[in-house]
Amino acid sequence: MPKSVYITARRPTLEEMEKNWRISKARKKELQVLVNEFKAQLSRREQAPMALIGPEKRRKRASAA
Amino acid sequence: MPPPPDPSAVFLNIPYDEEFQSLYIAYIVGLIQLGLAPRLASEIVGGDRRLDKIFKLIQSCRYSIHDLSHVEVSVSPAAVPRFNMPLELGMTITWQNLHPSRHSWFVWESEPHRIQRSASDLNGTDANIHNGTPEGVLSELLNAFRRDRIPSVPRMLEVYHFVEGNLTAILHRNGTHNPYSRSVFMELCWLSKMLTDLFRYTNPAV
Repeated sequence: MPKSVYITARRPTLEEMEKNWRISKARKKELQVLVNEFKAQLSRREQAPMALIGPEKRRKRASAA
Repeated sequence: MPPPPDPSAVFLNIPYDEEFQSLYIAYIVGLIQLGLAPRLASEIVGGDRRLDKIFKLIQSCRYSIHDLSHVEVSVSPAAVPRFNMPLELGMTITWQNLHPSRHSWFVWESEPHRIQRSASDLNGTDANIHNGTPEGVLSELLNAFRRDRIPSVPRMLEVYHFVEGNLTAILHRNGTHNPYSRSVFMELCWLSKMLTDLFRYTNPAV
């Protein structure tokens, strides 16, 4: 057997993958809270470099934008 | 003849051990981030003979990973050798030999060259070595499954840590201590897929 393969199949969508996962709508709603939490974590990280910049530079950047 | 396999499905032949938990989550997160769909024998529910159903599941998958890093004798309740994983690997090898274009299998280990001692008939098979760490699993998945738009290991690790960090809550909600149970496996997959898609939407370049 090869130690690696090249995947040519397209990535399945959530809907296609969900056919194998039987999860209730109510439970998905609960899990969505975790997704939102991760989303917030990503967004905080994206904003973090701005927080490291001093207020003067931040003002200049904001006015330039 | 069974229908053609799902081109994205990967059958995971792994030990259902507490010590293997972190690697199990790394396999789920890593495969989903690579656009593949992990499948597990625990998805199978009652009815016919279990082995027949496992074989059908293997046949429905284009790929399989057989992690032989935990084949040692169990500690409790009574020390017995563990035959399930080698048995399923044997079934897979036979299936692949009969239909080479339908299936590709991989043997994974934590230590290099140990496979030659535990299963010498596999000599000549190049095992994927993960060193027993989630990082090792993720990095080796990138080596094994090459494709366009692959995620980086740090990105994969970020999702892994988040999913792993929420495992206790998921177990609690499902009223079980078993992370390999059908419902927990499906929720781990769903969560991993949602987080992966989130990354793709926030940064279309990956």
